[in-house]
Amino acid sequence: MTDCVPADNPGEKLDPAAILVVEDEVLIRLMIAEELRAAGYVVLEAADTDEAMAVLQADAGIGLVFTDVRMPGVLDGLGLARWVRARMPHLKVIVASADQASLRGPGSWDAGMTKPYDIPGVLRCVRRLLGASGEP
Amino acid sequence: MTAATTANETSATVLVVEDEVLIRMVISEYLRHCGYRVIEAASGDEALVVLQQPEINVDAVLSDVQMPGAIDGFALARWVRNNRPGLEVILVGSPTRAAEAAGDLCESGPTLSKPYDPQVVVNRIKVLLAQRKP
Repeated sequence: MTDCVPADNPGEKLDPAAILVVEDEVLIRLMIAEELRAAGYVVLEAADTDEAMAVLQADAGIGLVFTDVRMPGVLDGLGLARWVRARMPHLKVIVASADQASLRGPGSWDAGMTKPYDIPGVLRCVRRLLGASGEP
Repeated sequence: MTAATTANETSATVLVVEDEVLIRMVISEYLRHCGYRVIEAASGDEALVVLQQPEINVDAVLSDVQMPGAIDGFALARWVRNNRPGLEVILVGSPTRAAEAAGDLCESGPTLSKPYDPQVVVNRIKVLLAQRKP
């Protein structure tokens, strides 16, 4: 069951913004990205945290980062969340993992989701975090 | 934009294989803007995973020649030729000679050189897909 853990600090409204999906399993990344695009969002994709940081530093108009926790590379998803929170605190972050224990807070993210994904739950979570002005 | 207007008539799927994320992002977004469904692969290995899924339709592959890992653009084109005959592959390479060599691997020899010119890419895809039609 996918779980969207409410954030303690829902935060301010954001401008319409792109979503960066960070996932090293290409078929899962494709599925999530296409579901979000079908819901009307602009979605950018990164295959690992190095790619994600490159996109974020390029100022691609991102408002929300959706990242898997377990990924190869220097940073895992939780490390990426901390990196984002330290440098771009205005961005919303969702972390996802099959291991619910890894999502226990407090952490540098706004919501945690368990895998496998429940797509309606993902969309509700994204909609809530981006707020009305971030609607597609 | 002319290309966007005409390409909106199709829902063809393009698999973009590029290990440089910012380049992949730009060309993928451009192709989506032109009306294509785009699947992104960050490596030849990821591309093979996608191409081995029978339920995922792919009409054309746009791949960088030089990529890290076991499967570069050449190897990917060879795999497609052997396993997905009829699927169009456009190889993109910086060195001209590499791109020419890539042409030898593809029956129709479609190659492009870097840096990407998005308009040229779209035009090449349109031509290739049009040639496939009976």
